[in-house]
Amino acid sequence: MEMFLYGFMQRALIASLLMAVITPLLGLFLVLRRQSLLADTLSHVSLAGVALGLFVNINPTITTLIVVLIASVLIEFLSNLYRTYSEVSIAIMMSAGLSIALVLMSLNQGASSMSVQQYLFGSIVTISTAQVIILAILTVLIVVLFLLFKKPMYVLTFDEETAFAEGLPVRWMSIVFNAVTGVTIAIMMPIAGALLVSAIMILPAAIAMRLGRSFNMVILVGVVVGVIGMVGGLMSSYQFNTPPGATITLLFIAIFIICSLIKVVSVRRQVNKQK
Amino acid sequence: MKYIEVKDLTFYYDEEPVLQDINFHIDSGEFVILTGENGAAKSTLIRNVLGLLHPAKGTAEISKINLEDKKLRVGYIPQEISSFNAGFPSTVYELVASGRYQQNRWLRRLNKKDHDHIKKALETVNMWSFRNHKIGELSGGQKQRVCLARIFAADPDLFILDEPTTGMDEKSRHDFYELLQHEAHTHHKGILMITHDHEDVSEYIDRHIKLVRKEDSQWRCFSMDSCNEL
Repeated sequence: MEMFLYGFMQRALIASLLMAVITPLLGLFLVLRRQSLLADTLSHVSLAGVALGLFVNINPTITTLIVVLIASVLIEFLSNLYRTYSEVSIAIMMSAGLSIALVLMSLNQGASSMSVQQYLFGSIVTISTAQVIILAILTVLIVVLFLLFKKPMYVLTFDEETAFAEGLPVRWMSIVFNAVTGVTIAIMMPIAGALLVSAIMILPAAIAMRLGRSFNMVILVGVVVGVIGMVGGLMSSYQFNTPPGATITLLFIAIFIICSLIKVVSVRRQVNKQK
Repeated sequence: MKYIEVKDLTFYYDEEPVLQDINFHIDSGEFVILTGENGAAKSTLIRNVLGLLHPAKGTAEISKINLEDKKLRVGYIPQEISSFNAGFPSTVYELVASGRYQQNRWLRRLNKKDHDHIKKALETVNMWSFRNHKIGELSGGQKQRVCLARIFAADPDLFILDEPTTGMDEKSRHDFYELLQHEAHTHHKGILMITHDHEDVSEYIDRHIKLVRKEDSQWRCFSMDSCNEL
């Protein structure tokens, strides 16, 4: 535990706990709406925002937020255009985001490759106090939004047409949800990295869905799994001197495999008992 | 009072005409069925009514207010609603309770009256004992009954049901039709139901609307058979 005597590890621990709360709240809806790749797409788009910021010499966080918000609206527009094959919008935006990022980076020879790498791979241990504060504000915002809109989001996730018939503004809800996810990814990207941020968003929810019976229980289990994965991964990365983002992701994958195996064994036992 | 009014509705899928010159209305207190052969665009018609699709010509409107001059609540069961994701992380009770959210409960907690409605709805479809089961663990027929319980718990003014009895046995179907008839005639609800079994339900309904292929049309185009209205 002496690792947490260091200031950078204390900040990393606080960030881990905050992300452990945020990720299952958004991740569960992403998984249930079959939008697991949306997080990946928005992280690629965020990279374009970073490249744009470095290119025009503006704080990349600001340009990333603007680009991600525009992308959230575009994704909703495209998924309505290709209603039957809504994943087309995800594919288009993902490739567009990455292409724009690569072109802008190649045009911007002066930019430090360190800056780009920082956003690509991220590092929770280099997080600043200001970033922790922004993450804390985001966490409060998302928890409040979740408590306010859990019921409409539940119905929207269950069936969009039913939600529409019951008077919910389905399109606006989708746009706002995409935007909140985009802003979260833009803020988490320098910490978790563009390449791994979606895994950190999705895996706690996917694990919780295998363990929880009710909707509320899944959320609770997701937060617990998030804390175990984030803090455990952070400690392991310090201990074994491995990249934190990758270590956290691998720990989540290990938890996912173990939970899936336990579930399979318990279902088989139940079936055998009934026989 | 007219709960649904469709006037001169024509609908195209891309270039292909699908529905032409459709006119009908559903009043409060009426139990009406909509039939037609497979592919007769029955679901397309009610999706136009709900505003999920938009007609090329004409109008399809649902009344904004109910008999009591309050906001009209719509309960909709889409076709194959019960085939939703088996992994949906919800108990039967949670799903049926979500039907009550329409009653100004989107931002408020459910009260005792809401819980009484939920219990009654689950008992109506004989699913009360399954209330703590995970939705994904139920059979297709049981899921269908849970979806019906959800709509009864919602207590809407207007029911729009797309083949709601799929997977139900004969007795359950007749109990369900009787309940709908009671909702229409006693509680003045408006009911529009798509079904293939019009003979099965004929003793309970007030009107029968049938979509038929237009004789002069080379395309897949349907209009109404007004002669079939009872």
